[in-house]
Amino acid sequence: MSAVSTWVSETLVRDPTERRIFAVLGLITVLLVVGVLTGVIGPRFLLFQIALVGMYALLSLGLNVQWGYAGLINFSVAAFWGIGAYCAALLTAPNSPLGLGLHPVFGFLAAIVVSAFIAVLIGIPTLRLREDYLAIASLGLAEVIRAIILNERQWTAGSSGISGIPNLMSWLPLTDAATTAAIVVVLIAVVYLFLRRVHRSPWGRVLRTIRSDEDLAKALGKNTYQFKMQAFVIGSVIMAVAGAFYAHLNLYIDPSDLVPLTTFYIWIAVILGGTGSNRGAVVGAAVVIAIREGTRFLNDIGFIQTLGIDLAPLRLLFVGGLIILIMRFRQDGLLPPKDELIWPAARDESSTGGASPSGAVPDGGTASNGGDDR
Amino acid sequence: MIPLQISPFQYVANGVVFSSIIVLAAIGLSLVYSIADFANFAHGDLMTVGAFSALFSVGFLRPMLGDAGVFGLPLWFFLALAFGMGAAAVISVITDRVIYQPVKGSDSIGLLISSIGVALVYRALVFLSFGTEAERYGVPRQGPIPWVRETLGIAVTPRNLVVVALTIVLVTALHLTLTRTTLGRKMRATADNADLARVSGIRTSEVIFAMWLIGGALAAAGGVFLGLEELVRPRMGFDILLIVFAAVILGGIGSVYGAMLGGLVIGMVHELVPLFYQWGISPVGSRYAAAVAFVIMVAILLVRPSGIAGDSG
Repeated sequence: MSAVSTWVSETLVRDPTERRIFAVLGLITVLLVVGVLTGVIGPRFLLFQIALVGMYALLSLGLNVQWGYAGLINFSVAAFWGIGAYCAALLTAPNSPLGLGLHPVFGFLAAIVVSAFIAVLIGIPTLRLREDYLAIASLGLAEVIRAIILNERQWTAGSSGISGIPNLMSWLPLTDAATTAAIVVVLIAVVYLFLRRVHRSPWGRVLRTIRSDEDLAKALGKNTYQFKMQAFVIGSVIMAVAGAFYAHLNLYIDPSDLVPLTTFYIWIAVILGGTGSNRGAVVGAAVVIAIREGTRFLNDIGFIQTLGIDLAPLRLLFVGGLIILIMRFRQDGLLPPKDELIWPAARDESSTGGASPSGAVPDGGTASNGGDDR
Repeated sequence: MIPLQISPFQYVANGVVFSSIIVLAAIGLSLVYSIADFANFAHGDLMTVGAFSALFSVGFLRPMLGDAGVFGLPLWFFLALAFGMGAAAVISVITDRVIYQPVKGSDSIGLLISSIGVALVYRALVFLSFGTEAERYGVPRQGPIPWVRETLGIAVTPRNLVVVALTIVLVTALHLTLTRTTLGRKMRATADNADLARVSGIRTSEVIFAMWLIGGALAAAGGVFLGLEELVRPRMGFDILLIVFAAVILGGIGSVYGAMLGGLVIGMVHELVPLFYQWGISPVGSRYAAAVAFVIMVAILLVRPSGIAGDSG
């Protein structure tokens, strides 16, 4: 037990602000568990929310590879998510316009292949240029993909959407809600560990260099275009996987979630969590779900409905205001990356060698490595 | 569908009107891009704000002025246009002071992301003040001008002509400002090299102030014209933003004259898509008009990222 708490305090939580944030998160977790035990919150509902947070966390991790690692501005998160969701839905749902009813594995495979292909297509003209070209082109891409899904009814069923998407791994001896929650936890763990590994690799270091000074990376002989393309494709594929997972979570998909607002939710999750920080991306995703579901919950309370206030614009106002406030006051986010680049062994050496008594990392030793995020 | 065969000139006429709107929006976006050095994603929603401000002023201007009119449009419409332009100019200056200036310490990317937040806030405020429904200015319906219809076989309404004429007036005024006045020379110098301009004694903060005023007013004019030709919708500006960006990129980012040219071309292409579809040149119809503008933009990025008039990529 004490080993666990030491691990938590040394690996996850390393300064007072972060300790406070994790304390709040822990409190919320306890409250949720109490809520389930006392029957206030249905376990099914909670598992669905966990799966939803997990999906947002995957999207945030994907965007973090692009924006956080490489500094690429991708405004088509919703589009790659939609590509994944539609690949899964079209291939696996028996009553989709294609009517194939294939095994979900094919849906995931198609999601990966198609999203990688489209990411390369949009990356070729934009990644050699200044960052804002990708921002503009990706916003356009998102609208084009939405237009295609809405208009090509013979293939995508248009605005009526696709239902009858099968559950994942229904042979497991768990309820469907528990199975999807378990799957998303596994997916996040795999993606998280993979990203942590590549982030600490030489590849990750080159990306960080590109992000802070692309000319420097070029001067060091790195083909920055190729590195950025790889980061862009990896991030897009993760988003598509999240979309495919969502299709099997919600069992129904229509184009209404492909709007740009979905993309900006993920942006909030990443910049609020801490650009470049994978832990932050996961925490940010949880916060965003709390905002989304919280406002929906308010909508269900009769009191607000009698006032005749439409909450959709308020949510928009809140999201926009939050973006402005984060950019102004806390560009580092809640959990900025500190020493994610450093192997734990190296950190232990520096902390035992340094004067710091409590095992906390001396700031000076890490700032030069991980503090280039602004 | 209209059973009549539509004359190709009709599409060109529509293209000229739509181009006017895009040109007005593209100039403002290009000014911000060249002087404040960031892609302003709130520009489309600034058009919406201008259009709705004009709509708001119609509420009190119309009872005051009655339906007396000039050039086939009621007088109150012209005053509402001026009101909308003024309101958007003031709002964009305030936005710069309150939101963009404080994040100035960061780079153009920080401003770009902030502008997304600004866009959402603008739209939310429009939703909250005017509701989610599409509105009209209530300008009386007009038939096409008879003699144009007889000679050329195309339908052009007086309001089409007013939109195009006012756009020409505004663009000419901007051209004269940029080339003949001290302010214009300062603006061009700042756009060219902000540091050098500052060293030469130009107060760049004044230039930025003027830039937001002009950009906001022109965006509002574009928004009001769009609302006049189609409907005044809370999403109108954001929906058109991509086309405006395509125009700016086609013209060459930061070049005001390039933006005018790009706006003309993109606006025309946007309206000619159904004609190209009829002729078999374009594989898609008008539902994908915006997608065609996007494809053109990507093609330009591939072939000549600096645009028609830009100097460097």
